[in-house]
Amino acid sequence: MSGFNLYTRGDRIFGIANASLMLLFVLSTLYPFIYIVSASVSSGFAVSSGQVVLWPVDPTLAAYKHVLSDRMFWISYGNTLYYAIVGTLASLIIMVPGAFALSRPRLRGRRLITFLIAFTLWFHAGQIPFFLNIRDLGLLDTRIGIVLAFACNAFNVILLKSYFESIPASFEEAARMDGATDFQLLWKIFIPLAKPALATVTLLCLVTRWNGYFWAMVLLRSEEKIPLQVYLKKLIVDLKSDDGFASRLMTAEYSFETITAAIMVASLIPVVIVYPYIQKYFTKGMTLGGVKE
Amino acid sequence: MSSVHVRDLKKSYGHAPVLHGISLDIEDGEFVILVGPSGCGKSTLLRMIAGLEGVTAGEIRIGSRVVNNVPPKERDIAMVFQNYALYPHMTVAENMAFSLVLKRASKAEITQKVQQAAAILGLETMLDRHPKELSGGQRQRVAMGRAIVRDPKVFLFDEPLSNLDAKLRVQMRSEIKALHQRLKTTTIYVTHDQIEAMTMADRIVVMRGGVMEQMGTPLDLYDQPANLFVASFIGSPAMNQIPGSIGAKGFVADTGHVLPLPTSAVAQIGRSAVYGIRPEHMTLEPSGMPVRVKTVEPTGSETLLLTELSGPQTSIDITAVFRGRVAAAPGDTIHLQPDMAMVHLFDKETGHRIMA
Ligand SMILES: Nc1ncnc2c1ncn2[C@@H]1O[C@H](COP(=O)(O)OP(=O)(O)OP(=O)(O)O)[C@@H](O)[C@H]1O
Ligand SMILES: [Mg+2]
Repeated sequence: MSGFNLYTRGDRIFGIANASLMLLFVLSTLYPFIYIVSASVSSGFAVSSGQVVLWPVDPTLAAYKHVLSDRMFWISYGNTLYYAIVGTLASLIIMVPGAFALSRPRLRGRRLITFLIAFTLWFHAGQIPFFLNIRDLGLLDTRIGIVLAFACNAFNVILLKSYFESIPASFEEAARMDGATDFQLLWKIFIPLAKPALATVTLLCLVTRWNGYFWAMVLLRSEEKIPLQVYLKKLIVDLKSDDGFASRLMTAEYSFETITAAIMVASLIPVVIVYPYIQKYFTKGMTLGGVKE
Repeated sequence: MSSVHVRDLKKSYGHAPVLHGISLDIEDGEFVILVGPSGCGKSTLLRMIAGLEGVTAGEIRIGSRVVNNVPPKERDIAMVFQNYALYPHMTVAENMAFSLVLKRASKAEITQKVQQAAAILGLETMLDRHPKELSGGQRQRVAMGRAIVRDPKVFLFDEPLSNLDAKLRVQMRSEIKALHQRLKTTTIYVTHDQIEAMTMADRIVVMRGGVMEQMGTPLDLYDQPANLFVASFIGSPAMNQIPGSIGAKGFVADTGHVLPLPTSAVAQIGRSAVYGIRPEHMTLEPSGMPVRVKTVEPTGSETLLLTELSGPQTSIDITAVFRGRVAAAPGDTIHLQPDMAMVHLFDKETGHRIMA
């Protein structure tokens, strides 16, 4: 016997290959992030001429100074905050009671309703009918339109519903014996017990809203209402095609590349601040629906 | 406090009948235990009384009020669940106070009632803990506390001790009994443990297959089982059942042995019957039936003998229990003499008791 080595040669090779692959993944997600940060604090010329690869070149905060003095940056930032917070609240207010009702066996037609909701996960009318629908509802170019149009998400409803279903029926029965109404049952028993699921759903809503871009661009016309992502896009497209502006910027300490980089970094700041506190819910969300005490 | 009356109660799930017409009257302050094998409908009956299951047919009254269509919270009933169902996100005090909070009781009243219940149950030092920080027995007490604070008309228990280990079960058994003696609240208690039933109940309801087989005091059921099912269900080890027929000189077992019968049985000569004798109602005497010992199980205070009565065609297992020690070994033949006064006779077809 050659000893009691738990790991065979094959195991070790697999381990090394595994770790290298993981490292590659991490680097490939990390690199764009580092590049954006470096670009945002480099001079416009360095970025445009391709000198910035990893670390900042000719460090300067000029791009940030420009961005922070830009009225549209603050307006669109405010809009993004509004869409994220109000949108998430609206989603929770609509989805939590809905999912709760769907999770109760005594609801008539729950199978059919659940099926119809789940159906939208795979099949939907398409973007043009959706657009026409919003238009005909008079929600084009309104803040509330953006909030309402995406308030209900089938995946989240089903996730919440499954979680409510996993809570043992005896809690409901005990609460009924204790005299709870349906609303009290939801508010005092099920919502506290469903915290992990609620945290996950809140997070998913917030992230989707924060990064929301396509529909905001399609549905909103007035500049006063667009979120940061759309403003960013506008900057990139509009400024790039405006030769005069681009060359004017080129000569300055900043270019539109460093400006867009600075805006991206600014838009990431809240996420970076909040992430450590909510990170556990990201992973928890993946394993939801398991056993509950 | 209140009496509970169940009249011809039926329950079906879809087309599957579960209760076939149960009638019972439970007096104010009584401690009634529902026993029966798994699946016989004990929990269903209890949950119907609680209002957690609808009534298919029949009537449930609490006091003088028909509650068939009254929601649980208006029935003034408290229930202790098998898995306790303590709210995991609330402390012990909050768990106990929950029903009072929903009723919008005053802070002072809530504190006073929770303190009082905690004192009764010895939970004073645990009021700020969460259920997961409690032992099984403590959780059990909190579940009872939650029921006590409401001062309900009726307590319902569904197998409250089945998650506890044997020792704790015995302890909680006497605690629940003491609690009942103190509060005198009408109690309906489900178990499938016949010892629990015998030791705790004022009256026992024996159920089987959605039917009530017999209701009576523990000793009634032990002394006068209405049928073979009750006879075998109540008492441990179970009553011996020897099939045969009633003859002129006694009971003629299918093995050919003649067993002693009280003279009152003579009127039934020729009838096919089952002879019932409890393991503890036999003595060792040379005139008794000869049985071959299969195993000997001494517990110290008692000796349990598993034996076999053999005839030309069939043989029948017979269990006997004796106080103290018995000098017998597997393979020995001993003679068991049934105590004539303790003999039960049942009709072979119907299983009903024959003699009074
Ligand atoms: N929701 C339901 N739907 C259909 N059948 C049910 C339902 N609940 C109970 N039953 C059936 O009713 C019968 C009685 O069940 P019940 O729970 O009352 O039995 P039990 O006497 O309490 O048994 P155990 O000692 O195992 O708890 C069982 O056959 C069960 O399968
Ligand atoms: Mg049961």
